[in-house]
Amino acid sequence: MKLFTKYNRINILATIATFMVGSVAFFAVLYSILRHQLDDTLRSEQQEVTEYVQTHGTLPDFENTRHQWITAVQTTQLPAHKHFSSYLHHDNRDGDNDWVRQLSFPLMVGNVRYTVYVNRPETETEDLLKLIIAVTLGMIGLILLVNYLINRRLINRLLRPFYSTVGEIINYRVAFEKPLQLPPSPIDEINLLNESLNEMAARIYREYYALKSFTENASHEMQTPLAVINGKIEVLLQNDGLNEQGIQQLLAIEQATKKLARLHQSLLLLAKLENRQFIPDEPVNMQQVVEAKIEEWHDLVKSRGLAVQLTCERTIIAFHPQLAEILFSNLFNNALRYTPQGGSIQIFLNDASLRISNTAAAGPLDIERVFLRFYKTQNAAEGTGLGLAIVKEICSLAGFVVKYAFTAGNHIFTIYFSNKTTQA
Amino acid sequence: MKLLIVEDEFSLSQSMAEYLGAADYICEQVYTYKDALEKIEGYDYDCIILDIMLPGGSGIQLLKYLKKIRKSEAVIIISAKNALEDKIEGLQSGADDYLVKPFHLSELVVRIAAILRRKNFDGQSFITAGDLQIDTAAKEVSVKGNVMALTLKEYQLLLFFVVNRSKLLSKNSIVEHLWGDDMDFVANHDFIYTHIKNLRKKIVAAGGEDCIKSVYGVGYKMQVKP
Repeated sequence: MKLFTKYNRINILATIATFMVGSVAFFAVLYSILRHQLDDTLRSEQQEVTEYVQTHGTLPDFENTRHQWITAVQTTQLPAHKHFSSYLHHDNRDGDNDWVRQLSFPLMVGNVRYTVYVNRPETETEDLLKLIIAVTLGMIGLILLVNYLINRRLINRLLRPFYSTVGEIINYRVAFEKPLQLPPSPIDEINLLNESLNEMAARIYREYYALKSFTENASHEMQTPLAVINGKIEVLLQNDGLNEQGIQQLLAIEQATKKLARLHQSLLLLAKLENRQFIPDEPVNMQQVVEAKIEEWHDLVKSRGLAVQLTCERTIIAFHPQLAEILFSNLFNNALRYTPQGGSIQIFLNDASLRISNTAAAGPLDIERVFLRFYKTQNAAEGTGLGLAIVKEICSLAGFVVKYAFTAGNHIFTIYFSNKTTQA
Repeated sequence: MKLLIVEDEFSLSQSMAEYLGAADYICEQVYTYKDALEKIEGYDYDCIILDIMLPGGSGIQLLKYLKKIRKSEAVIIISAKNALEDKIEGLQSGADDYLVKPFHLSELVVRIAAILRRKNFDGQSFITAGDLQIDTAAKEVSVKGNVMALTLKEYQLLLFFVVNRSKLLSKNSIVEHLWGDDMDFVANHDFIYTHIKNLRKKIVAAGGEDCIKSVYGVGYKMQVKP
């Protein structure tokens, strides 16, 4: 719910409630005044009747009209007091039920006891009630209308700087070369917001770049000693005094060094992916990426006796060229590595998805954990254990979805592209 | 051929100098930005091997300066940074190649040789090794005048051996040279055996000496008479 809608809703409810209470109070006061007047009229009628009886000794002829009528009923038991009451009266002329105010009082005419009833309808009060309801509803309607107009025109204009700030924040990436620069605003609240955001963004920006240069420096610092080890091994290998065992040992060291370097590069890549240091906004021809990689590894595929079937459509998506390569090669790597001799690998690519499936050597992978870092099955000692974690991170960066399934003895990895572009 | 090695890590610099020295390059080594600047201003080299992060400055700055004073040295950047932007920045600033640490020295030698061939293109496109003559411009190999029909991979393989002749090359370094970094996940590199076997067969069939020897099953070495 928008802030303004919420404000407006509360405002309108409060206004309606106020008008209701006000109207009820107003009605109550007016009603009591009018009834008081009515009762006064009835009392003066009583006085007239009483005076007439005292003067003439008989009951007067009552001139009953629609607006006032008097009846006198002979009783044996005199009521003690005069008494006001209201009752519903059926009017035969217009068929309506109207409230009627009645005063009953005792009267002695000679020795005969009477109870006299003076009646007057309360139609004026009813008219008043109707009028008050009409005015109340009218006012509420008017307020709703005015609120709506204010909302439409004025408030939207007031909120414009807020929305422009939000727009800039949405489009801002820390990986951009410059920190966030929101303009000053003539409205204090917006200005405060912009200043605070600028300050926060500047802080994040500084820390982000400190972290970025730290990870890069750490990488540098670790790769150089590895390069030293590698270099020394290669120089040593040229030593004619080495026997086979010595060479084997050296190559084992070289292998481990390489793995260490690769592990570190993978972790660095993951960190960069998490930091959103890549912007996947270039059109990438996935078909080319896939075909080039398969061509490149043709020899290995052949030597392993694997069959690779490729069903490929020209697919151009908004992505990052290097990430596209890493993404496909990690998945293809895995397929090559884990497909048993003589198995097959199927690759399908169209503009909605990329699917790689391969003959499984064993049962399904743990669907919950397959994309976790350092997830390895028992027979997978060779990899870094980061390949699929990288795939997952790349997908999340690019807004793709990656799914694993196991069907009919095949591992199936599917990537659904959701942000494809259509430019050629 | 005269090379300048700009690398702050002494041990690595030593290894490179040793390996390249054995491949008949004359190497000079400097370890700081300032020394590198002096060398570049005062002398001419055929190729500069340049680290990016140096005490006192950045290799990229050095590279830009080199281009500013219009020196024609070939430059190969060696850097731990595989950050994509760094690679692009290096190449945009006019480097001829870029190698990410850690790398194989044999790979460095091949890259340098390739750059130098490109730079000194006039009449330098032929490499001779024993009976073999390689025309790097036409990508053709002939033995005693007989042109051999090689696949692209076989050609690259042969060139790698020729440039690194008399060096023991591990299967690892061969695979990485031919198929790149990604291939190292394959524990068993025996599939290159087929390529090497075919190459040897073709050389022998063309009347050449069988100069590629297997060493203890861990690598290969090309031995040609000088």
